[in-house]
Amino acid sequence: MHSEDSVANDHHHASDSTDVFGFWLYIMTDCILFGCLFTTFLVLHIQAMHGLVLKSYLNLYDVLIETFLLLLSNFTFCLAILNLYANKLFKVQAWLAITFLLGASFVGIEIREFIHLANEGFRWDVNSQASSFFTLVGTHGLHVSCGLLWILLMIIQLPLLKMTNVAKRRMTYLGLFWNFLDIVWIFVFTIVYLMGAM
Amino acid sequence: MHNHEINQPDFGTSQKKLGIYIVGFITCSILTLISFWTVMSGQFTKWEMFIIIYAAAFIQFFVQLLCFLRLNTQTKQGRTNVMSIIFTGVILTSIIIGSLWIMWNLHYNMM
Amino acid sequence: MFKDLLFGNLTLDAIPLHVPIIVGAGIFMVLVVATIIFWITIYGKWSYIWHEWITSVDHKKIGIMYLLLSAVMLLRGFSDAVLMRSQQAIASGTNLGYLSPEHYDQIFSAHGVIMIFFVAMPMMFALLNIAVPLQIGARDVAYPYLNSLSFWLTFVGAMLCNASLVIGDFAKTGWLAYPPLSELYYSPDVGVDYFIWSLQISGVGTLLAGINFIATIIKMRCKGMTLMRMPVFIWSALCAMILVALAFPVLTVTLALLFLDRMLGMHFFTDFAGGNIMMYVNLIWVWGHPEVYILILPAFGVFSEVVATFSQKTLFGYTTMVWAIAIITFLSFVVWLHHFFTMGAGADVNGFFGIATMIIAIPTGVKVFNWLFTMYQGRIILATPMLWVTAFFTTFAIGGMTGVMMAVPPVDFQVHNSLFLVAHFHNVIIGGVLFGYFAGIIYWFPKAFGFRLDEKWGTWSFAFWVVGFYVAFMPLYVLGLNGFMRRVNHYSNTMYQPYFIVAALGAAFILIGICLQIGQLIVSIKHRHTLRDHTGDPWNGRTLEWSVASPAPLYNFAELPIVSTRDQFWEYKQEHLAEGRVHPKNMHYHPIHMPKNTPAGFIIALFAGIAGFALVWHMWIPGLLGFAGVLITMIARTFKTDTDYYIDAATVKKTELTHIKEMI
Repeated sequence: MHSEDSVANDHHHASDSTDVFGFWLYIMTDCILFGCLFTTFLVLHIQAMHGLVLKSYLNLYDVLIETFLLLLSNFTFCLAILNLYANKLFKVQAWLAITFLLGASFVGIEIREFIHLANEGFRWDVNSQASSFFTLVGTHGLHVSCGLLWILLMIIQLPLLKMTNVAKRRMTYLGLFWNFLDIVWIFVFTIVYLMGAM
Repeated sequence: MHNHEINQPDFGTSQKKLGIYIVGFITCSILTLISFWTVMSGQFTKWEMFIIIYAAAFIQFFVQLLCFLRLNTQTKQGRTNVMSIIFTGVILTSIIIGSLWIMWNLHYNMM
Repeated sequence: MFKDLLFGNLTLDAIPLHVPIIVGAGIFMVLVVATIIFWITIYGKWSYIWHEWITSVDHKKIGIMYLLLSAVMLLRGFSDAVLMRSQQAIASGTNLGYLSPEHYDQIFSAHGVIMIFFVAMPMMFALLNIAVPLQIGARDVAYPYLNSLSFWLTFVGAMLCNASLVIGDFAKTGWLAYPPLSELYYSPDVGVDYFIWSLQISGVGTLLAGINFIATIIKMRCKGMTLMRMPVFIWSALCAMILVALAFPVLTVTLALLFLDRMLGMHFFTDFAGGNIMMYVNLIWVWGHPEVYILILPAFGVFSEVVATFSQKTLFGYTTMVWAIAIITFLSFVVWLHHFFTMGAGADVNGFFGIATMIIAIPTGVKVFNWLFTMYQGRIILATPMLWVTAFFTTFAIGGMTGVMMAVPPVDFQVHNSLFLVAHFHNVIIGGVLFGYFAGIIYWFPKAFGFRLDEKWGTWSFAFWVVGFYVAFMPLYVLGLNGFMRRVNHYSNTMYQPYFIVAALGAAFILIGICLQIGQLIVSIKHRHTLRDHTGDPWNGRTLEWSVASPAPLYNFAELPIVSTRDQFWEYKQEHLAEGRVHPKNMHYHPIHMPKNTPAGFIIALFAGIAGFALVWHMWIPGLLGFAGVLITMIARTFKTDTDYYIDAATVKKTELTHIKEMI
């Protein structure tokens, strides 16, 4: 016979599993979304060049720094998760804050890069290459920004949620999201920047 | 106070371990550096660079899936997650390759 | 300056006072809405509507609201059809008809958008919501709050499309808005922007619903219901939702890129500065083809349920049915080029996609034969749902055959974008999707509302619909083969006119059919006590939804069922019928965990609508407020901790005993 507690626990575990699965499905749809943006980028990129070309404006050192910032933030988020399961609230918040700073630096460098490109004349309305570049990289940056807002929210909400299964579930969503963004970035720096510089 | 073990819900991910995260982080860093160095050093032909950076990208993709996302086929949910990503991947491949083929074909015939 | 930020490009000129038909339609819309608001206020029902419907997270109520939305939009979409048929019937030779080309362009564009996005999709989600949780033995869908949000987003998208009728224009580009016509240079008015935002907003709703139903079907089946014991309707729902999840992001991206072109001057699909017009065509059909399979698969599922129930026989070939659905699901992603064979691809590309398109007809054929084999030697009951099924067999077969004809690229070069094409897709959409959904609505109506629909009115409305369909669309096949193209509002060669007159007659028959359906509804409501479904099982059904009361109680099942075979409820009835019992008398009742209602879905959708409308008219302040509203409501909701409650055991017991008493 099950006690009331473990029946409730089982119920929560089943619904938590369903909830996280739903988020995983959303990530799959986001893969398709980025896939289409990549396809559009490749199609419009391979065409005959019209005027200004991405290659002339690339600074690969910046991109390398951005890549490591994001990769590191991926790692620090995992550290936050470890501390979550060890029930160390303050450490979770600390690692989340570090993740936030790393992510914010990533976005900062990206914005600076966009402004620099625009000032140099490579604006999004100048040709199809530029449009697809700004849209693809910008969409990724927008996702990261939403993730940053979410991290802030988590830092605020965790003390209120008191490390319950709700907290673990929401951190799992955010973890999936944040990891996924780093995976997309692998393809962004490979296809957009490294290929663009070749 | 109950003393019986409370199992974690099945999120379809393997157990989280610091060691695996560190291994993942180091591997991904190395792969990233390889990709960047290949292009920035200018020592390779275009085809060589192409193959190296794409191979590095896909390997890093799998490393991140296994080490950070902790994808696995041990639990039922894990198998469901893997199946969904495989199916998504199949459809995505079809969309990307199909679109590239079509658009190249149109370009060749109409331009 | 501030006025610009607030009102953007919106002025009083936006109201098309110079077009009498639109003024009439607008006044009619306003009158209907005003009347409804008036009646609700008079009867003091605002609290009821808010608490029981608008804030509901109950899949049964949400399903009914989807049904209501699709019914209302069917009237608007069909009005567009009547306008077009009457215009084409008279606009021959020197007669220019009564619709200007600019107006006609908006009509056929709106007709397509409304019928696909605001009639067919909502009708599908209505059936899924009403039937899926009950059929798998669950209490609700996986994410009830998201379910409510999905409905309201779809509703807001439809309202945005309706707003375009009276404030500004709709797109004049056809329902898919190909560039460069849909780019800012050739469509400087707000029409395409309305198109983009009503589809983006409802598209998010659809995507969330797709995720919702996949999770529900994969994770929330009752104990013992393995994948191969699910009803075939559930299989078709699962695969359709997988298609939704994988295809709708493509639509989102494509429309977003078009928006960026129009709003920020980008060059994705412009015909200069490197833009590639065909990339839009390519991407939109990567979405568009799976979309039509999204629509047809649940209809196939309905047919499986209805044929088995009304032949009183187990569905023939369950395993092949499941395989056929799975193969159709996968193949629907590799055929999309057949929508633009003529637009420049070489023979190898055309050949590949042509062959793939022909292959996809095979699993469909397997399904048709399985349904026929189910009927063979069954004891058939020709209730109205079954009538729709029989009409489907012939009609869809003809439509499918014309499709396979066009899958051959050289043939398609002759009939692409002609009325032959128009006849084909109406043939499969009406004959397949609509007939299937009508069958499903009549089949599950008692489960949702507690009483059956009148059979006589149902039969007559069916007769007029079917005859009307053939009379309206068979002439179009002939016209298409004679070279008549689509989207034409006037023609100088009067030899075509007789065909159009016949087609208009067909539309009139369908109009009578629709009136008879409305009549059927009114009559059935009037006689709802006579038509009451006392047992919860009016059709002697086979699946779990028929094992609960009609309408189903809030919690669906007092005790979640445990199954060990397919058609478990049917088996249960066969066993227990022998013992003279139908339901267990002594049951142990527990408290049941239910989600609380919430206004969040409605409010988020409302803000999304404000943002969408604002983006159309470049009203930046309302737009910003709209986006902020969406974000703040979403975030505020995450701080809410009391989102569920328990129904106590005594209430459950009382509800169940009332049902058992009614059965006796």
